[in-house]
Amino acid sequence: MKEESMAKNTSKTEKKGALSIKNVTKIYDPTGVNVMAVDNCSMEIAGGEVCMIVGPSGCGKTTLLNAIAGFHSITEGSIHLDGELLCGPERPKAEQSAERMVVFQHGALFPWKTLQENVAYGPTVQKALSPSQAMEKSGQMLAEAGLGNFVKKFPGEVSSGMARRAEIVRALINNPKVLLLDEPYRAMDALTKQIMHESLLETYDRTGVTIFFITHDLEEAIFLGDKVHIVTTRPCQLKKTVEVKIPRPRSYETQSSEKFRKLLVEVNDAVHEEAVKAFKAGEREMA
Amino acid sequence: MAISKDWFSTTPFQGISIFTAEYYEHIYVSCQRILIAFGIATGLGVPLGLFMGWSRSIRDYIFPVIEVLRPIPILAWVPLSILLLPGFEGPVIFLATLASFFVTTLNAMLGVDSIDEEYFRAAGCLGSSRWDVFKNVVVPGALPFIFTGLQISIGVAWFSLVAAEMVSGDLGLGYLIVDAYMNNVTVPMVIAMITLGFIGYFSSACVRALGDKLMGWHVKELAQQGR
Repeated sequence: MKEESMAKNTSKTEKKGALSIKNVTKIYDPTGVNVMAVDNCSMEIAGGEVCMIVGPSGCGKTTLLNAIAGFHSITEGSIHLDGELLCGPERPKAEQSAERMVVFQHGALFPWKTLQENVAYGPTVQKALSPSQAMEKSGQMLAEAGLGNFVKKFPGEVSSGMARRAEIVRALINNPKVLLLDEPYRAMDALTKQIMHESLLETYDRTGVTIFFITHDLEEAIFLGDKVHIVTTRPCQLKKTVEVKIPRPRSYETQSSEKFRKLLVEVNDAVHEEAVKAFKAGEREMA
Repeated sequence: MAISKDWFSTTPFQGISIFTAEYYEHIYVSCQRILIAFGIATGLGVPLGLFMGWSRSIRDYIFPVIEVLRPIPILAWVPLSILLLPGFEGPVIFLATLASFFVTTLNAMLGVDSIDEEYFRAAGCLGSSRWDVFKNVVVPGALPFIFTGLQISIGVAWFSLVAAEMVSGDLGLGYLIVDAYMNNVTVPMVIAMITLGFIGYFSSACVRALGDKLMGWHVKELAQQGR
């Protein structure tokens, strides 16, 4: 309870979780041939903002997310979180931390733990809560997310929509500054996606966490985001930023509004050019 | 016909039936040896395989050694084991353990390899120490592979045990087969073989059952897929 009101205060007063990506370049060397995945990419993400990264497949957006999360190093440039250095020239790889929680594309709930155990895992290993306290809080948060009846089930037993929601709860229980989502709803059907969007929006309205969301679904980007950053085909550079000035809370009806349609056209024009380029170059997604 | 007549009669013509104490003695000895061999092989092989999967440096040191020893046929070890180990039990159990050990270790290591990188990343994000990762990702993640390996390894253990008993034993089902051959009585030979079949099936089934119990999540996941 205390944490909830604290989070609300945070979202209204001091917005934490501001990411500053400056001139980041990443060069891979997977098969002995240098591949530049990201080239001199810069973007500023304000604390508490929902930032959508849109671009064609294989353009390097995941590389950027991996750099923020600390899964990969960067070759040049720097990334700061709330003024503190995450990775830069002296430290090419950020440390993994619960401050920057990731929700993975194919879902990475541990299949051998129940939903409740999965969510309780973070606070337990960080010693932030005792195991029993963590389990209790986990059960509570899962119930709030509408998964109260499934807490004792394994991920293999529930639908992908439920699993994804549980994974988001698993991330949020650690009070992260930034939530990093790598095309989390990519493999879902359109109807489940709609429900997932509404669920995420509701969660965002409640917690105010900064969201860094990669997608190639333009409607999703505009519906969820405060800003849509359109990136070029590989190597990844920021091409255009579109601000989505649609007030919150947003609902399903927003998608048929005039404003929404106009934004969609604007974003589509910018992305389409890049999509054609990517297609011609025969880009392949790098994991 | 003759086999079933003898097997189930109280006065078997060729010496062995379900009513003779000798039959059970041989079964008991073989089973005891298998339990010891399988126990040691699993107790050593699973942790070693897991560590080899988890740590690059451990793998780099130990894997080459194992891969050079593994192809040596178990029976090739017979003379050496008789020379080095005392008595009859030692060599026999050693040979069964060796065969089982290689299978178990390799499967445990491959089991760790089979775990999706994303689970390691998720665990890292959530603030796990290396040991947390080992306990919560490596061990449970490798279990399906480990249990597949254990089913194979118990079969391999039986195979090696029977072969070893034939060559250097004084009791046991393998010995029974060879002894029957030497004495020109075929019925005990076949009885022993059929018995081995049943016991082998039963021991594999036990391993499977244990696996299903420990990996309830896996069983349910497969069930969802309709398997």
